[in-house]
Amino acid sequence: MGQIKYQLPPEEILSPGHFACPGCGGTLTMRYVLKALGRKTVVVIPACCWSVIDGPVPYSAAGVPVFHTAFEAAASTASGIKAGLEMQGDHETTVVAIAGDGGTFDIGFQALSGAAERNEDFIYVCYDNEAYMNTGIQRSSATPFGAWTTTTPTDSPKAEKKKDIVQVLAAHHIPYLATASVAYPDDMIAKIQKAKEIRGLRFVHVFSPCPPGWKFEPEDSIKISRMAIESRVFPLLEIYDGNDYRLTHEPAGSPVRDYLKMQGRFRHLKEADIDVIQKNVDEEWEGLKGKLAYSMKVHKSNNSVRSQDKEVSLAKAQSRKGIKRNVR
Amino acid sequence: MGQYKFTTVEEMPPLAFSLESTRKIPTGSWRHVRPIYKEKSSPCEIGCPAGENIPQYFDLVRNGKYEEAWHKILEDNPLPGVTGRVCYHPCEGQCNRGPYDEEIAIHNIERFVADKNFRNRNLPRSGEFHKSEKIAVIGSGPAGLSCAYQLARKGYRVVIYESEHEPGGMLRYGIPHYRLPKNILNKEIGDIKSQGVDISVDSKIGGNVAWTELEKYDAVFVAVGATSSRKMEVDGEDLQGVYSGVEFLYELNNGRKPKVGNRVVVIGGGNTAIDAARSVLRLGKKVTVLYRRTRSEMPAVPEEIEEAEKEGVKFEFLVAPEELTGNRGKVSKIELIRMKLGEPDESGRRKPVPLRNSNFTLPVDTVISAIGEAPDLSFLPYSFLKKGVRIFVDENYSTGVPGIFAGGDSATNPNGTVVNAIRAGKEAAISIDEFLGWRAKSDGAPREIVKPEEINTFYFPHEKRVKIPRMKVDSSVSTFKEVNKTISDAQALEEVERCFSCGTCLHCDVCMTFCPDVAISKDEAGEYVIDYDHCKGCGICVNECPREAMELVEEETQWV
Repeated sequence: MGQIKYQLPPEEILSPGHFACPGCGGTLTMRYVLKALGRKTVVVIPACCWSVIDGPVPYSAAGVPVFHTAFEAAASTASGIKAGLEMQGDHETTVVAIAGDGGTFDIGFQALSGAAERNEDFIYVCYDNEAYMNTGIQRSSATPFGAWTTTTPTDSPKAEKKKDIVQVLAAHHIPYLATASVAYPDDMIAKIQKAKEIRGLRFVHVFSPCPPGWKFEPEDSIKISRMAIESRVFPLLEIYDGNDYRLTHEPAGSPVRDYLKMQGRFRHLKEADIDVIQKNVDEEWEGLKGKLAYSMKVHKSNNSVRSQDKEVSLAKAQSRKGIKRNVR
Repeated sequence: MGQYKFTTVEEMPPLAFSLESTRKIPTGSWRHVRPIYKEKSSPCEIGCPAGENIPQYFDLVRNGKYEEAWHKILEDNPLPGVTGRVCYHPCEGQCNRGPYDEEIAIHNIERFVADKNFRNRNLPRSGEFHKSEKIAVIGSGPAGLSCAYQLARKGYRVVIYESEHEPGGMLRYGIPHYRLPKNILNKEIGDIKSQGVDISVDSKIGGNVAWTELEKYDAVFVAVGATSSRKMEVDGEDLQGVYSGVEFLYELNNGRKPKVGNRVVVIGGGNTAIDAARSVLRLGKKVTVLYRRTRSEMPAVPEEIEEAEKEGVKFEFLVAPEELTGNRGKVSKIELIRMKLGEPDESGRRKPVPLRNSNFTLPVDTVISAIGEAPDLSFLPYSFLKKGVRIFVDENYSTGVPGIFAGGDSATNPNGTVVNAIRAGKEAAISIDEFLGWRAKSDGAPREIVKPEEINTFYFPHEKRVKIPRMKVDSSVSTFKEVNKTISDAQALEEVERCFSCGTCLHCDVCMTFCPDVAISKDEAGEYVIDYDHCKGCGICVNECPREAMELVEEETQWV
């Protein structure tokens, strides 16, 4: 087994000089997505941090065509661009919408839900930093229970649980759904590359820490992401066709406390609050284990990504698309 | 941008668009801390008395470069096959992996590298003597060999005077074959000779070679070792059947079989005692080791004690000899007294205190006393300053007599370990080089040492330490053949993979992988380059580096 090493596609498409804050998780998400998809890619960005990060006119950091669209319109714009490319006879270019949690969970949700139901042919990547960060750290429906934001101050921190967007999207029966983390770049790139080979709507939910919004030192960005995964706050998953679950990384099950204690946005939490969060995490984990066990029984999947048979899913996705689109 | 020049509104695209890369924006100006690559010392290389560069030769092993790895070790230690077998490996006690799971089996890797090059005579440099000075070394034990070798590599002509018929000193005559086979020793002495070192055997200074013979040399290094056994100072020590440990091992290593009876006791708790006891087993007799303190105070290497126990050596702790009595000149009984542990003494170990009226006797026919060795300095022509029983030397190994240096067990090395003798030889060679004016005194600032908590253990999944292949106990005690075996290539690779390589960059690309600003790349030579025009100083690279080979430093404020 030996030491953990990463071998990523060598080409750097993202340029330096972008406007992201130091230690930005959303920027690493973009870097890995572009590495995985290559240059034949069109990126659609709604209002989100990346509208700023990409740079002021006449500059752009992404290195591929980027279409900046309205807050609510990432999924519908991506649908339109894909249809336009198809009309022009371009069946090769990958269209990817990259949106923050606000533009995915809240404002862009109806467009996303519609595109998912129609099974539009593009990849939707949500880099989730758990609040509206570039507008000033306001709560979103992705903000976790107990967290501080400027609209949920420490004397009344967020009282609701984070929206389970993965379950919501799974309920749309899209062909491929995955969760990923910037701390596990090999896993994330494998998932994006797998998504590239599948047709229909593919959704990748990326856990992307935000140093100023979560209040931690930028150097700890990766460490915090890793703790979120290892404490089961954010399990690394794949879901095929909305019901075939696979776990791609077995988390160590470290205490959620260690993860919370590293961030200023949770500093006000009392021990009792931390216990509640731990209990929530444990319950969700048990629920997920049930789904994994069911998938193993029904789909005979072995719960490991790497030995994944992507052809099967590809065929499934294509058969459902049927006559509707040209099969690649 | 250049190709887009619009003169009318109609020529303009329907939407604003950007064609320039943000590479033109120097976001490096946001930075207030700067990441740099800065290698540090690993605790093992500091823990190694010979100062071997362990992370570097491990990296060479990792890449299958066994010859280069061997050359790397040879910079500091000409006897890796010897130390890979007999060293008490203090390096492993310092290993940062110890607190995490199990320390790296460093000495087994050293042995592996040496054995991989057993037939390799291609040393990095053969004798080329650009310095006119000549140097004499007295004694061809590890200190003498190490010093002569280092001096030859520095360009001096060196002659070693050895009183025995074969070189090696205690390595040859003090360590039994089952622990250090003679072919290994001969090979490595051959390597040292190939560097242009002359070894003059059967030449006893103060005996058949006059001390004045040495006057033609520009410097002398005295490394005669500690060859005389300390006396027990009890009655009956001169009886037949009473050996000293050194004498007993000397006989064995000369191919003779000293006579031992059926009731053998060894007195002492050091390596000589254990070597003697395990040798007695190999002569087909049972043996008991008597030691005046407890097991945890024994100065012998713990693995050796375990091995001895496995092979059937019995131990009796907290007993000391009071008297030996004989029958017709032959030893027949030993009177012992029970001890208890009192206050710690100057060695830090708890002092044994006799318990009154606890005397008892054991019937014996052979007693081997191995309670420590002292140097035999009777050959010295005039009185050197002494420290206790040893020659006094200052921190440069100088005896105070100009041009005469000393080191190893006869001077600096009260613990009598091979690796400390090698260190003394190496450091004395540097002092001699300075004394002869070829080398300026250097005082480079020591590098920082990596602490265990600075290692990013995420990158190192738990794994077990390599298991050392060993001869089966029932066959090992019936022969003087080597007991422990060299690990295989696969085992060696697994073990070096476990190494954190604290403070040494292995080009694992973690820094590059996690840079959100795409500011780290590799140059043609494969070295990392940080693009300070764009690095914002987030510090992820430094924090994620698995082995603490990077550092964040404060940017100097520049007022413009």
